[in-house]
Amino acid sequence: MPVRMVESPAPSNSSGANPGQTSLQPCSLLSVGQAFSGTQNVSSPQKEEAWRVNVRIQGCDLNHGYLCGTMEALNVPMADTPVVTFWEGEIVDTKNYTFFTNKWKATSEVDIEHWTKFPSFSPLLSQVEVDGGKSLDLSNYQYIFMRWKEQYFVNVGADCGLTIAGFYYVCFSCVDGSINGYYYDPNSSPFQKLELKTTNEGRSGFSFSSYELQ
Amino acid sequence: MPGSASSTHRPEGLIERLRSAAADGGEAKLKVLRELKNQIIGNRTKKLSYIKLGAVPSVVSILSSASSSADCLLVQCAASIGSFACGVDAGVKAVLDTGAFPHLINLLSHPNEKVVDAGARALKMIYQSKVAPKYDFFEEKNMEFLISLLDRNNENVTGLGASIITHSCETNDEQKILGDAGVLKKLIDLLGGTTSQRDASLESFATIIKENPEVISKFVGPENGRTWGTLIELTKDRYPRTRLLACVCLILIKNAAPSNLQSVGIRTKLILVLLELLDDPGQVGDEAVLTLSSFIADDEGLQKLAFEANTIDKLCDHMQKELLQAKRLQGIFMTLANLCSNLECCRSIILQSPKALNVVTAALTHASADVRVAACVCLKNISRSVKYLSAGHFMTEAVIMPLIQLLFDTSTSVQVAALCTISNLVVDFTMHKSLFVQSGGVKQLVQLSKSMDSTVRLNAVWALRNLMFLVDSRCKEGIFMELRALTLTSLVCDPSASVQEQALALVCNLVNGPVDSIEYVFTEDGLLLNAVGRQLWSASKHEVLIQGMYVLCNVASGQEFHKEAVMQQLLPQASSEDTQSIMVTMLQSDVAQLRTAAVWTIVNLTIPTGAGALARVVKLRNAGIVSQLKNMVNDPCLDVKLRVRTALGQSMTFGDFST
Repeated sequence: MPVRMVESPAPSNSSGANPGQTSLQPCSLLSVGQAFSGTQNVSSPQKEEAWRVNVRIQGCDLNHGYLCGTMEALNVPMADTPVVTFWEGEIVDTKNYTFFTNKWKATSEVDIEHWTKFPSFSPLLSQVEVDGGKSLDLSNYQYIFMRWKEQYFVNVGADCGLTIAGFYYVCFSCVDGSINGYYYDPNSSPFQKLELKTTNEGRSGFSFSSYELQ
Repeated sequence: MPGSASSTHRPEGLIERLRSAAADGGEAKLKVLRELKNQIIGNRTKKLSYIKLGAVPSVVSILSSASSSADCLLVQCAASIGSFACGVDAGVKAVLDTGAFPHLINLLSHPNEKVVDAGARALKMIYQSKVAPKYDFFEEKNMEFLISLLDRNNENVTGLGASIITHSCETNDEQKILGDAGVLKKLIDLLGGTTSQRDASLESFATIIKENPEVISKFVGPENGRTWGTLIELTKDRYPRTRLLACVCLILIKNAAPSNLQSVGIRTKLILVLLELLDDPGQVGDEAVLTLSSFIADDEGLQKLAFEANTIDKLCDHMQKELLQAKRLQGIFMTLANLCSNLECCRSIILQSPKALNVVTAALTHASADVRVAACVCLKNISRSVKYLSAGHFMTEAVIMPLIQLLFDTSTSVQVAALCTISNLVVDFTMHKSLFVQSGGVKQLVQLSKSMDSTVRLNAVWALRNLMFLVDSRCKEGIFMELRALTLTSLVCDPSASVQEQALALVCNLVNGPVDSIEYVFTEDGLLLNAVGRQLWSASKHEVLIQGMYVLCNVASGQEFHKEAVMQQLLPQASSEDTQSIMVTMLQSDVAQLRTAAVWTIVNLTIPTGAGALARVVKLRNAGIVSQLKNMVNDPCLDVKLRVRTALGQSMTFGDFST
């Protein structure tokens, strides 16, 4: 979700990770077509504020630790319409990506500072401090950790006064599909919390859809 | 001032003189043969015209009756026959029909090298044609003769030997017998000869090793240092065709066992050589780009190397530079397609160059069907980018309209290629799917989904399935109105399991989204839902069962009435008490995805807030489904395990029935 622009964003580095076999199992709640809704707390010391947010998963490639989708911010004060951004995610599977970001202005200290905000991360902390979690086996872990980085604005111009320079540390619960995240951008308010829950679009249960590229 | 042509200069006149010359002396024969040769050389129309008038039998008659000492006459006969055979299958056929073959073979043992040359050249022309007879390498005599040709110190004769191999060696056994007879070694020796010897030898060398790991491991590969070194060296030869053929041989060796070409340096070198050969405006350039395309196909590592070698920039520049022939364009599009099959960085470069994308799109209407197919494949692989699909990059009239036109193409391969591309493009996430619907695309997709050809049917349904993914309600209704429940039902029951799978995935997407979408499967007395239920009871392929189960899962996420209809499919009243519910069979499947779909359906059926939830839980328990779930609380698949716990938790809210 975009946040207010404070100063011009610096370009981010591209990923240098080597693709490999993932150690994560697929989770049907984190598959293409799944939708989530909730809020992002954008409060500043001066003002309490939260924007409503919708997320939709559009692509998932576990072998490459890749996830992508859109994020829609509904009540952005300076925008006339909901602002939609496209994001790409790195899944921390310890093969393609570890807990250390190594880019986007995030040091390992910043990484740990954010990851530790998730209670489900605490059993992993000591090992992550050693090697970024490279030696951890997360295949049966009920939580999936990710980094989501917004790439472009879908429905507004880049000159809309909003920035997508930062990225989210994300923790997804395979149990109920809930998503918690923290936005990190050295130039924005720290620890803006993202809270999303899976949506059922008026249904009494879970529904699934799919596409397959050729 | 124009006058009437002399009858002797017309083909009929020449033929007449040719026939009468047979009875004349040597000089007259020589004169008329020279005249004939000069007429037909390099002129296909004249060749065909003289063949039709029966010139070939007259020439062969002169050859067969010529004295072995009439060297000049023998040379002229052989040269004329060779010219008739050169590039014209009808000529080869006429030459063979008149029995010239043994006479030409006899010339190879003539003491005069010029006669030998002419005979060998004529035979080589014959073996360059598809209609030439297949050489039997298993006849001992034949193999001895072939080896004797390769051993001769005459480039036309050794070239003939190489042509015989290139023409006739097709099977693995033939490759093996040639290898065992030492032919590969002789061909390697010939690589040190003249340019034509080198090229002919490389070509037949490639024929013998093609897709035959056994021959390669025995006779070539890096451990055979000399061969390997020679081939590597020839990739730097001054002649483009030699460089191309050396690359082809090395690539064949690599294809048989990738370990044979592990050096990144050599891999990159081959890519660069092939790219450089693109500058050749003729056949070598055409073949070079097709060779590059097959070299990098199915190998992400090589695609990455080709990307790093700026292949995309070079190809994009090349295709925008001038009007290219069909074969060249086809090769370029196939290479770009292979580059974009896995790597997002490659797709990005093309998508950020509107000119390049325009060239590909424009080629969708090219006169050559091969080019149209290649352009479709290229566009299909470029559109594997979810990032650009999400930005609505492809759903434009310039791209969509020509693709829809290709659905009417007279060539089935073009239709299939267009369907595959459309399958990707219609995934579009930007709510522009209506453009495709309004442009008449759906009507033709539905038409093709009724094709007799199962590949066409499969890809048409696949495209409809992807179009139905997250489509808005209005488009969904439009698509369903075009498809109708009846067509969709017959697709769900199609004889091909792959079509069934795509059709069920389509229905799954149809009933997803707003809850009233579920009503689509209840139209016409629940025709569609019943068909889905029947497939779940009868299908054996897990891919079909997974999609079918997700249809029921989505229907079960609706209202009470919908949930009850799903119960009816899972536990039909007509089935006897001893019949095991399909749900138990699904839960016991070895395929985790199928177990997941089955448990999700139970989760939806047992959500405690529903008025009929308790009754459904009782029925599921009586059918042995709840006890099966209890066996699965530690399922090896985390997804299944978590859903089982949810389903059991929901069932328990009505009390534990285990006692």
